[in-house]
Amino acid sequence: MEQPRDLVVDMPRTWDRPAVSIPVLLCLSLVGGRFASFSTEANLYTLGTGGVLIWLGLSNRMPRRPAPERLHAGAAWWALPVVVFGVFEGATFVLAVGDEFPTFSRLADPLLEGHLVRSGAWFAWLAAFWGLVRR
Amino acid sequence: MMRALAIGGFVTALALFAAIEWLARREGSRIPTLGEVCAYVMRYEVGSVPVGRIGLFGFWWWLGWHFLAR
Repeated sequence: MEQPRDLVVDMPRTWDRPAVSIPVLLCLSLVGGRFASFSTEANLYTLGTGGVLIWLGLSNRMPRRPAPERLHAGAAWWALPVVVFGVFEGATFVLAVGDEFPTFSRLADPLLEGHLVRSGAWFAWLAAFWGLVRR
Repeated sequence: MMRALAIGGFVTALALFAAIEWLARREGSRIPTLGEVCAYVMRYEVGSVPVGRIGLFGFWWWLGWHFLAR
């Protein structure tokens, strides 16, 4: 017998709940944090995890949150941090004077050497990637 | 001096990202959240090719590789 439409509730799938996805992302991040920069393992792990997420995001296997039809004019505020970041990244990259006027990557490198911070960065990257896949 | 300027510039940019996201999440805000902006960009298609989706995924993939693998 068909259920009345207003009584049907879409239950999130088991793997789609934060209680499942966050621990999975944490485990993946802790593993990723163990691989040093420029290592083959780090390259393969980044390409592998990113590749799987892109495959999930481009296939229609994942339920997606509805996207806005249009954006308010207030969206222009996002240009402000993007321009500030772009100006400094562009200037530091073009001048290329190393540690005296460092790029963002150069500033981040020493911070990402620690295992814990590196795992945290992995978690931020994977969690944002997962968020994009669900959009 | 130049190093402090670079650090100050990047910290300012990151603080602006956080501040605008905070403003966007307030009740009745007319500023979309960063997630909504990304979702809107990912709607862009050329024919049946999801160009916006491919572009944003590619950018995020490259960013992770750049900071975490090299």
